[in-house]
Amino acid sequence: MNRPAGTLALAALLLALLALVALACGSAGLGWGTNGELLMLRLPRVLAALAAGLALGLGGANQQGVFRNPLADPGLTGVFGGALLGIALLLAAATEFTWQHRWALPTAAFAGALATSTALVWLGRGRSTSKLLLTGLGLNAFTAAGTLLIAARFPEARDTLINGAAGDWLGSATLELAGLPILACLLAALLLLTQASALDRLALGEDMAFCLGTDVARTRLSGVLLTALAAAAAVCLVGQVAFIGLLAPHLARALVGPRHRAMLPLAGLLGAGLLLLADTLGRSLWTQTPISAAAMTALLGAPAFVWIASRRHE
Amino acid sequence: MSEVLLAALRLSMDLAGRTVLDGVALTTSAGEVVAVVGANGAGKTTLLRACAGLLPQATGDLTLGGVDPRQTAPKRLAALRAYAPQHPMSAWDYTLTELGSLAPSPEAFHHWRERFGLSASAARRLSELSGGERKVAHLSLTFSALGDAFGKVLLLDEPTTALDLCRAELVARAIRASAQAGAAVLVATHDLAWARSCDRVLVLSEGRLVAAGPPDTALTAELVRATWGGA
Repeated sequence: MNRPAGTLALAALLLALLALVALACGSAGLGWGTNGELLMLRLPRVLAALAAGLALGLGGANQQGVFRNPLADPGLTGVFGGALLGIALLLAAATEFTWQHRWALPTAAFAGALATSTALVWLGRGRSTSKLLLTGLGLNAFTAAGTLLIAARFPEARDTLINGAAGDWLGSATLELAGLPILACLLAALLLLTQASALDRLALGEDMAFCLGTDVARTRLSGVLLTALAAAAAVCLVGQVAFIGLLAPHLARALVGPRHRAMLPLAGLLGAGLLLLADTLGRSLWTQTPISAAAMTALLGAPAFVWIASRRHE
Repeated sequence: MSEVLLAALRLSMDLAGRTVLDGVALTTSAGEVVAVVGANGAGKTTLLRACAGLLPQATGDLTLGGVDPRQTAPKRLAALRAYAPQHPMSAWDYTLTELGSLAPSPEAFHHWRERFGLSASAARRLSELSGGERKVAHLSLTFSALGDAFGKVLLLDEPTTALDLCRAELVARAIRASAQAGAAVLVATHDLAWARSCDRVLVLSEGRLVAAGPPDTALTAELVRATWGGA
């Protein structure tokens, strides 16, 4: 077995073990319950964390590949913020309708993420990737402000939106609520994996990628659409969470190199592992006052990111 | 008479309100090496990028391998021409093995890199190579994309810039070998001495073609003085 295949197999095995541990840990104590009732209680949350982490890892890796910039991340470029703003607008406009139709929240999140992605591409057209990222940071601030404004003006949506902005939605995951976003995460992940070859060539610059036979415009469009889908589905499950989309691709690149064929799936597995680990620690270490997955991700991710950034592997 | 593989007529291009190519006409045939020379900003890179199909907004008639590159799918176009940009780059720090795996034929990539004197271990990363070594690594990708060269168009933008004399000579030989194998080669260069060894020379000035023909005819002392200010 070659190194990338071995690393992928090991990552998948560790993720499976972590999922078993996550199913056995929680505020009610260790174990799965006498009749497996704790297992059934925790299962939706664990599945949601796995699916969202997978989509976040792959979405971040894809956006870094499309923008050819290791600092690109849907959390930084406003795509997550756009998804949450889409949810906020729908909740403000039709709260009852939103909770009556399971497809409403994911659709609103996708529309918001897509609108932000389109604005990002349009406002940043013809500019350097650094300026594109700065445009994304501006959009991120704008969407966050919009969400907070709606939270302040619509008391019935306030708690939901504040928890979403804090990345604290995993606790309310049920199989009924999370089913559609989980499927959307898996669909986005599968489609993102098909971008590997085009992203590899895009790394050589748009001119060279085009001359090697890559449809650059189509790759960019697919990247924007699929990242929006992945971000929207993940936001529906977790809320806003930073660092996964940034950290998972960096770790994956350090482990198996920059070729996307191995790096993309590993970024997905690492994203799933990081989010699940953060959520499990957050709800197990302080059972009376659990910490949100987003806060734990930042606590774990920030030092790791600084360490990785100090190494030269890009 | 050799087959014309690349032809342009009245090729023009405006960029931000400025005309960067102004009615350029050219032909390049199989077996021929044509040098494009001119001062900085004369339009050499724009001409090569337009010929490669990278500037769909360029106006005028353009035919490459029997098709209009501006209206041909990237995959089909990749089978008709190979292109090397002036400043090749990579967003990620690929090893030579990884870079070679992006070529249509990794074996051909390693053949060309050895031919260009880049015998570094395949596990070496691009960041560990010198500027000249990185340049020939990317040139190896372009030459490997050319395949057997017969009937293809090779477009090279300043391929010998940043290379030492030995490697520049190896690249010059590879260009000539590709033409002999049946490719039509168009090369933008600042190396007037090398341009004089080409079959024909096109001289650009402010986007316009001011001279074209065999080197002795096109590169007159008077034109060289007028274009490069006595260089």
